[in-house]
Amino acid sequence: MNEATPDASECRLAEGLRRLVRAIEASGRAILPSSDDELLQTVVEAAARLFGAAASSIALVDDAEQMLQFRVATGAGSGEVVGMRIPIDEGIAGYVAMTGQPIAVSSVQEDPRFARETAKKTGYVPRSILAMPLVCDDRVIGVIEVLDKINAPSFGMQDMELLGIFARQAAIAIRASQHYQHLGEALLGSIRRLAQEDTSAEMQEVQQVLAETAEAPEGTDEIMALADIFGSIGKLGEAERKACLQILSAFSDYAHSRPRYA
Amino acid sequence: MEEEARPAWSSQFAASALRELTAVGPIGGITREWAWGGSTGSGVRVAIVDSGIESDHPAVGGQVRGGIIVSYDGRTKSKVRIEDDLEKRDLFGHGTACAGIIHTLAPEAELYSVRVLGRDLTGRALQFAGGLRWAIENGMHVINLSLSTSREEYYGLFHELADAAYFKNLMLVSAANNVPSPSYPSLYSSVISVAAHEGRDPLTFYYNPAPPVEFGAPGIDVQVAWQNKTTIVTTGNSFAAPHIAGIVALIRGKHAELTPFQIKTVLFACAANTHPETQT
Repeated sequence: MNEATPDASECRLAEGLRRLVRAIEASGRAILPSSDDELLQTVVEAAARLFGAAASSIALVDDAEQMLQFRVATGAGSGEVVGMRIPIDEGIAGYVAMTGQPIAVSSVQEDPRFARETAKKTGYVPRSILAMPLVCDDRVIGVIEVLDKINAPSFGMQDMELLGIFARQAAIAIRASQHYQHLGEALLGSIRRLAQEDTSAEMQEVQQVLAETAEAPEGTDEIMALADIFGSIGKLGEAERKACLQILSAFSDYAHSRPRYA
Repeated sequence: MEEEARPAWSSQFAASALRELTAVGPIGGITREWAWGGSTGSGVRVAIVDSGIESDHPAVGGQVRGGIIVSYDGRTKSKVRIEDDLEKRDLFGHGTACAGIIHTLAPEAELYSVRVLGRDLTGRALQFAGGLRWAIENGMHVINLSLSTSREEYYGLFHELADAAYFKNLMLVSAANNVPSPSYPSLYSSVISVAAHEGRDPLTFYYNPAPPVEFGAPGIDVQVAWQNKTTIVTTGNSFAAPHIAGIVALIRGKHAELTPFQIKTVLFACAANTHPETQT
């Protein structure tokens, strides 16, 4: 281990990282929707209109807590439903999240318990519900519901099929947005930590690695270029992502095991 | 894109899309009366792999004879834990709905609840497989699967289970996915896959000569049993499958020796759109 002391090269490194943070933040703003919820809101509004529904909502799965959280809603009862959290093994939305199967239910009010509890929470009891899982990479990430079909007593099989197609597109969009957001947060978080001028062990390691390559701060251009390539390969599809991952893993194994000369 | 262009499973059973079929030779001689006339499903054990069964719901008429709860347990080799179902409740109402439909058709069939849903979504497919394996190994005759998985990594596992069931003369009745995308085990040839048609008569079903989904049974706006001794009106292939499971229970009750492919042939011959060959 080299002994690290704050010196000119470290300051230069810190400055370089700060520039990188700013660059990533700037590009992030260009590619990310300003928030996840904004995207979701447009989805429920489109769904309500498309299916002639009085209301629509999206709940996302919180895996860690095994809950469903209603993130956005439009139409009747929307003010109350947003933010509502329900255990994943309850209710129609829970059933859909657990099984990955959509369900259409009419005469919902015939279930007095359902009606009472829903009304207590939202002040609104729908007569008919069509609930569809949002599935991405074989995982249920949430549930979209459309409530009370206008001009019809219930949602039919055709509505179910259409909402299925719609939900698939919505799930992909939500997943992509979440990926970007998580990736961006992770990148920013770690780089921000490093950019602070501390002399922690982490910082020393980074400095050591960077010190081994010439003109370390300039390496940021390569990192950005790599990120661009990852982004474009990621959009091509699963097969390409897997191939890329395998190539990179092989290279990484090689790079870590090759002899290094002082 | 390709998936969107594919016809949805249930549209194959719309009145305009139905094809009239001919049952040739002696197959044309198989009648409903021969197949299940007088049968009540007595002596037939039917497993409902689902969300549990509310055993005191009037719709199941006290016919629930037992049940298990399958939960995910990452520490065990099989990844699942199986316990007797002492709660006798249904998390949602879905399993009770299926059990109620089967009971309506085969009132003396013995119903067994195999509860495979739990809070842990990650283990869902393994719980489902564990429940199916239990049913295969514990003397069931008919298994209703109104659930499915679309996870490709479990294709092999469910295929193995479907084959095991087939070779044990055990009939799997599987609901097709409600959206037109692959789901297992409903797409395997050894199972009876079912989608919903618009009819109301519980004994009227159709054969689809262009599989993977082979049979259409009522499942649109049907009144079914639900949680807390209630009923709801609902739509889904989930409710079509138990109609066929109930009829299979009737057939098994009368002809216990029939194998899965023979049962399929009997169902084909008795489908509402199948007609015997006209005599020359």
